[in-house]
Amino acid sequence: MPERLWRTPLDAEKAARPKAEIHILKDQCKGCGFCIQYCPKKVLEESDEINARGVHPPRVVDEKKCIICSFCTAVCPDFAIFVKEKTV
Amino acid sequence: MAKEDIRIGVYVCHCGLNIAGSVDCEEVAKFAAKLPNVVLARDYRYTCSDQGQELIKKDIKEFRLNRVVVASCTPRLHEPTFRRVCEEAGLNKYLFEMANIREQCSWVHLNDRKAATEKAKDLVKMAVAKAALLEPAEEIEVPIIRKALVIGGGVAGIQAALDLADTGYKVYLVEKEPSIGGMMARIDKTFPTMDCSICILAPKMSDVGRHPNIELLTNSEVVDVKGYIGNFRVKVLKKPRYVKEDCSACGECSKVCPMIAPNEFDAGLALRHAVYTPFAQAVPSTYIIDMNLCLNKDGIMVCEKCIKACERQAIDFTMKPETIELEVGTIIVATGADVFDPSTLPQYGYGRYLNVITSLEFERLINAGGPSGGRLIRPSDLKIPKRVAFIQCVGSRSSKTGRTYCSNVCCMNTIKDSLLIKEHWPETEIYVFYVDIRAYGKGFEDLYKRAKNEGVKFIRGLPAEIFEDRKTRNLWLIGENTLLKEPYKMSFDLVVLSVGLEPRKDAELIQRLLTLSRTQDGFFMEAHPKLRPVDAATGGIFFAGCAEAPKDIKDSVTQASAAAARAGILMAKGKVTVEAITPILDLEKCKACGLCVKVCPYNAITLNKELKRVEIVEAACGGCGTCAAECPSDALTQNHFTDEQIIAQIDAVTGQDADKKIVAFCCNWCAYAGADFAGVSRMQYPHNVRIIRTMCSGRVAPKFVERAFARGAAAVLVAGCHPGDCHYINANYHTQRRVERLWKKMEQNGLNKERLQLLWVSAAEGERFASKIYEMQRIVESVTPDEIERAKKVFAKAGGA
Repeated sequence: MPERLWRTPLDAEKAARPKAEIHILKDQCKGCGFCIQYCPKKVLEESDEINARGVHPPRVVDEKKCIICSFCTAVCPDFAIFVKEKTV
Repeated sequence: MAKEDIRIGVYVCHCGLNIAGSVDCEEVAKFAAKLPNVVLARDYRYTCSDQGQELIKKDIKEFRLNRVVVASCTPRLHEPTFRRVCEEAGLNKYLFEMANIREQCSWVHLNDRKAATEKAKDLVKMAVAKAALLEPAEEIEVPIIRKALVIGGGVAGIQAALDLADTGYKVYLVEKEPSIGGMMARIDKTFPTMDCSICILAPKMSDVGRHPNIELLTNSEVVDVKGYIGNFRVKVLKKPRYVKEDCSACGECSKVCPMIAPNEFDAGLALRHAVYTPFAQAVPSTYIIDMNLCLNKDGIMVCEKCIKACERQAIDFTMKPETIELEVGTIIVATGADVFDPSTLPQYGYGRYLNVITSLEFERLINAGGPSGGRLIRPSDLKIPKRVAFIQCVGSRSSKTGRTYCSNVCCMNTIKDSLLIKEHWPETEIYVFYVDIRAYGKGFEDLYKRAKNEGVKFIRGLPAEIFEDRKTRNLWLIGENTLLKEPYKMSFDLVVLSVGLEPRKDAELIQRLLTLSRTQDGFFMEAHPKLRPVDAATGGIFFAGCAEAPKDIKDSVTQASAAAARAGILMAKGKVTVEAITPILDLEKCKACGLCVKVCPYNAITLNKELKRVEIVEAACGGCGTCAAECPSDALTQNHFTDEQIIAQIDAVTGQDADKKIVAFCCNWCAYAGADFAGVSRMQYPHNVRIIRTMCSGRVAPKFVERAFARGAAAVLVAGCHPGDCHYINANYHTQRRVERLWKKMEQNGLNKERLQLLWVSAAEGERFASKIYEMQRIVESVTPDEIERAKKVFAKAGGA
């Protein structure tokens, strides 16, 4: 079915994803950048601040883009990041 | 058989006055009686009548005839009749030859009895010359594998597969998409009965899914086809679904999948997840993961939500693509059609104006199972429109704005759609802008009338342009009502573009894999438009549905059942005979150069490097003779169209008055048929042309042309099917190459290359053939004796005259 799909789907708003709450334990981070590199939705970037270990921990660019796949948690060697579903 | 043993009987048919009206048949018969090897020549009023047939049979026995020549109508009409007569009298049917003195003589020279009679004599002389060299031939039998492949799982493919499977044959149904169902599954209601489309299709779909004789291969594509009628070897790439058949289609995986994209099935009007099923009734119901969307790429497991959600543990990211090899005897091509993309027409604003939708989007919107739950809403504000316009022929019947043909279904589809709106929202004002309304089928006119009675307005004249009101997002249609000769400017809430159908984007791939031909419109071409409408020109392959031309559901189903029956006939027989016009290989002369392998359109010749020879698969051979024309060492010739036979015909033509004659080589399917058509239409043209029939213009070896010139012919015509229409796929491209080489040679030797003409003429272009002969007549008149002599010299060596 090769038709061009250009419209906003009618149910686009209804298909709200669970909202993410990203927690970064800045001082545990050793700045390896795995979480930034491996995040499939590119939610994270390197921040300017310097933590206790003398490196730049990640910071959240856009929390809305996070799909809570928790791959960042899986790849973080220092248990410095985890994601929870936001409870309203 | 020694030459003195040849005993030819000649029958010159009057065909009432059809031939005798302008040809002195008695004189022709007297002339024939004196020709070498002729032991008997008769003229007869109606040779094809029962009495005529009995006469031939009696003569064969009484006069021990071992060759028969009938001079009458075109062999395209009665060759099978007389071949049967010969067989019934115990004579091999390949010992029969025909001279066409009706379509190509009496009918085209109605007012010149003398010239027509002389021409008829020449034609008989040619036929007798060929007949003397005819050899008996046996048709080979090829076994047929009793399994079928159906490509495409739309309604046509479904019907064909079910019919064949019910007959008892094993069927492989290959579908590219994750589910079968095709276009019909996406349509809300069908015309003219207003049946719910999926309601009538879904039972058939599930029949396919559980039929013991059908192996369903979805998400799969045919990637390679080798072999020939009865014995195809097919490779199918089965792409992974990443969901095992254990899937219960509960949908829990989809609920947790974080990735979303527009759903193709709903024309992008609804969302789906990366793990999804295209629609509720999908067959197979097993979910599928769209790997372009899923987060788990390249073996890295980023997200495991679906795996955790699946109770049956059916999700398997380790699945790999598989290539499945199938052996089948017949193939049904039911690949369907695409819809026209109206965004290429800027005047209608599709893709810019939210409230301009296509008829396919309309189907999804009006469908109760669709993204709006069956409420026809307009995309800009999700309100139900009060004024709706339909625009017809979007992408059809226009050389400027798309395709030139009529897409066949859009008129009735629009009428049906207008009634659907009226059914739910009777107050809606509906206007249909059209070119012509084509309500030609059973029950169609009634539906059209019903729509008019319910107040649907039909306005002849498509809008020239659509403008959008920026505030209201309403649309202004501007154009001319061509019946009233008045301009119109009307505002609508919603505009539906009735988009046409076009060939699949990948039709070219299927064409190449199966060596098919396509019409100018791009749809697959049938073997005969009237009498073999579901057969492909390639044996063992059949068409069903929109792959062959746009058609509605009923016609698709009808054609699918026809294709299944045609394929079933072959498989029931279990064997097929191949006409004995295959190549003959002289192993001693073959130098294994491989040129024939390259030109064979059917891949029927292979080069055996070890044995340093070529090998011919007779069953795969289409019988064009291009290989024989290409062979540089005379190792190949074609049964029943041998070099000697054709040269004998050339020599017969050029025996006398060659310098006033045109030797024409015409392919059986287009050019010869075109010349016949000129005769049937009684188009008159100069009488100095003598036609030699070959199956394909690709059979015309350069040496034939050279021979004709070496024997002093004034002009030579090589005529075949239009490029792309060749009955033998692409063999006529080689014709062109050979003629171009001859032109070069003529130029280099100071010859007027106009004396050799190449003509592409279809079976329907009698006029084109006739006017070419007129054109060539002028060339013949301008050729000087000096030029004739020079050509004789130049080609003497090659032509061997």
